[in-house]
Amino acid sequence: MAVKVAFMQLSDCWGCHQSLLNAHLGLLDILPALEFVYWPAVVDYKLDSLKARQDGEILVGFIEGSVRTNEDYESVELMRKKCQLIISFGSCACYGNVHGLANEWKKQELVDRKFHDAESITDENPKEPTKHVPGFREYMVVVDDIINVDAYISGCPPKPEQIVSAVQFLLGQKDFPNEEYSFCTQCPLNEEGCILDKGTLCFGPITSVGCSLKCPGNEDPCVGCFGPSKTAHVRADKLIEKTNDLSNLTSGEKKAMYEFLSLYLNIPLMAGFDLSADILKQIKNKGEAETPLTQLNDKAKQVATNLLEYLKNNLDFHEISNVCDTCPRIIGSNSTMTKVKRDYEGLPNQEECFIEQGYICMGPVTRAGCGGMCIKVNAPCTGCYGQTEWVADQASRFADIAIKGFNVALSKDELLAQVKDHIGTFEKFTLAKNKQFTEEVHK
Amino acid sequence: MVKEIEVEPVTRLEGHGDLHVVIDDDGKVKDVQFNITSTRFFEKFVEGRYCEHVPRITPRICGICPIPHHITPTKAVEDAWGVEIPEPAYKLRQLIMNAKQYSSHILHFYALAAPDFLLGPFADPAKRNVVHVINKMPDVGKMALKMMDFGQKLCQEIGGKSVHPISAIVGGMKKPMDEDARDRFLKQVDEQIEFTKKTVEIGLKVVEDYWDVVANVGVVPTYYLGMVKNGIHDIYEGDIRIVSPEGEKTDYKVQNYLDVLGEHIPEHSYATHMYYKPAGYPEGIYRANTLAMINAADKMATPLAQDALQQFRDKVGQVSHHTFAYHWARLIETVEAIEQIKTLLEDPDIVNPDCKTLDVEPREGNGVGVTEAPRGLLLYHIWSDAEGMCKKLNLLVATNHNIAGIEKSLMHTAKQVFEDKALEGLNLPDPWID
Repeated sequence: MAVKVAFMQLSDCWGCHQSLLNAHLGLLDILPALEFVYWPAVVDYKLDSLKARQDGEILVGFIEGSVRTNEDYESVELMRKKCQLIISFGSCACYGNVHGLANEWKKQELVDRKFHDAESITDENPKEPTKHVPGFREYMVVVDDIINVDAYISGCPPKPEQIVSAVQFLLGQKDFPNEEYSFCTQCPLNEEGCILDKGTLCFGPITSVGCSLKCPGNEDPCVGCFGPSKTAHVRADKLIEKTNDLSNLTSGEKKAMYEFLSLYLNIPLMAGFDLSADILKQIKNKGEAETPLTQLNDKAKQVATNLLEYLKNNLDFHEISNVCDTCPRIIGSNSTMTKVKRDYEGLPNQEECFIEQGYICMGPVTRAGCGGMCIKVNAPCTGCYGQTEWVADQASRFADIAIKGFNVALSKDELLAQVKDHIGTFEKFTLAKNKQFTEEVHK
Repeated sequence: MVKEIEVEPVTRLEGHGDLHVVIDDDGKVKDVQFNITSTRFFEKFVEGRYCEHVPRITPRICGICPIPHHITPTKAVEDAWGVEIPEPAYKLRQLIMNAKQYSSHILHFYALAAPDFLLGPFADPAKRNVVHVINKMPDVGKMALKMMDFGQKLCQEIGGKSVHPISAIVGGMKKPMDEDARDRFLKQVDEQIEFTKKTVEIGLKVVEDYWDVVANVGVVPTYYLGMVKNGIHDIYEGDIRIVSPEGEKTDYKVQNYLDVLGEHIPEHSYATHMYYKPAGYPEGIYRANTLAMINAADKMATPLAQDALQQFRDKVGQVSHHTFAYHWARLIETVEAIEQIKTLLEDPDIVNPDCKTLDVEPREGNGVGVTEAPRGLLLYHIWSDAEGMCKKLNLLVATNHNIAGIEKSLMHTAKQVFEDKALEGLNLPDPWID
């Protein structure tokens, strides 16, 4: 039977829904399993029909958008009542997104600019609209300031595959080809240049054949996206040996492990999807996770056990992973930041780290999940997947990390003095989560 | 008895809107309100930001049309700082704009609008959506998904992300298209042109089926706001063109927009009511979006689209006030978009690395950037200080141009429905799917 799902749109841009629709043909796999009982972007049910449903009747509720109006606030409370599981869907719901920048001002200043001072307004005495409109909150909060949230999918927007895999995870539904032989049997690097032979993590020996072999073509390791094979390749022993000690992973290996945990073992650590409570507790307490995978061969089981054992002792693994872990650019390059450059200055080369070339890139303080999409078109990260750590002074945290880990020939004070807009640079997507800041402005 | 009809929320809409209709005890429609129930104050919170960061913030205004919300403020800053961009950047921007136009129009046609036509206006609300259309018409559904996919993937290729792109920068673009990616899209483009032709056929069949509705419901004379370059339909740059209800066309330079476009703050909507200043409010209420663009154009920029425009004008005349013809107009623009995409993909400048000028210096001043977003004219007016920090932003968003016009056409249609009982005599086709 189809699972009942509701989407609530708070003050938003529709981008998370566009991203879900961007799964395009991938939608055909998940749509039949879902019954959308509320989704104004796409489906015609009205608010009254949602209110009329029994409490807890809906299995999964996605809350998307930011809490700007009184109606937004009430909608969040309504969803908690009607849904068993609540997901903060997208960086607006998780962190407030760019709209949270509005917390720099008092509500009246926002209202005046929009409804009174705008240059194109022609009314003699324009006033804030009040009829059949919900009214604005004094300042913005995020969804988990109002209710308990069970899971978070961050990203602005979350990537389509991230959303689809989250839905598949929640439904316990994942179709793998589960072929007889492993990826290694068709790998172009099997004879010569094997990644695992070189001592680097690669999950080919326990992964099913069937993919386009794009990863080894780019000399990247297999991350297991086709799921388990029925039999393991002889190199599986090497993989087991490698996973016996995971304490010294390179950033590339960390990325591979990340993806494997998510794609193959279906553990939602990757791609900004946190199932905040259950699964991590399960892993901590039992050292294993209940994944839908039951068909692991012995070697694959051993690998999975090793990874889960590691995860049990490193539950913050997903939090410490950042965009740099998924960025192909060289850190420790020939360049050094001697002055902070503005984005319009020059044109960065595409090989070296942005920070070392002088640009502010939020990569080292931004949680992984996007796969570095901005970096691929030569644009520095601005942090839309959220901070890796929540502190009151993100500018200071960034400066410490940049100076410690990158070629930066500036002192902390110099670096921070050269960035004129701290909030817009370091907290563009997350200001609504900075309670200390908000309290100071709005006390 | 006074009767109040509330539609909360209006669904299949990008944004947040409710509808209130009040009918007096004599059966007359007393009031119609289109209430836009949210706004997020972008106009304010970009103040104090780096001007070049504004285009990395404002795409969040609209997730269906983030490309114009990325390109347009970039153009505004370039106008303020006096920056010229290289030819390859100009073409890359035109390509990504057309890719967005294409996917957005197809999304609108199939996912937002088609459920009304294919299932009919009296279908079960539980079924009246694109998910049901995909299930019942898998071939058409798959074609629609492939079309949206093509446009969105092309946006992603050039923009880095299809939703909330990042590759435009004051002075040009951060990167040209890779040659192998260009080749990949070129290989698919002829198939997409065929898909577009099929979609136009479906659209024309719908128009024919629903001709009684198109010709008689919601036919509302208003002004129209569009953009043209030397009279020709253009979504990237040009002059603002106002078309009067009688069809008279007047062009204005975008920098003079404050003489042309006025904003009235209604008491019942966070989206304001725009109007044509010389005609006053409410007489000067205009509409934007596809029908307005088609009414404004002397001709389309590409041959197949021009044929489609001619066919449209032969049927509905030089100026169409038919609200339901918006869908037809959207398809004419879709044809132009896919033709432009093909031409631009074939242009070697698309892979030319000379796509960013190094000659960019902030200066004090203000600048205006205008494009035609899929749902209407988009205008950014930005004020920069000497260091290039954003002092102020005035923003006229595509959808905003339509709010007053939508309300006006809703009032007209409500009178038809509730006073004249116009729906009772309408000739409606059998639904395509149940």
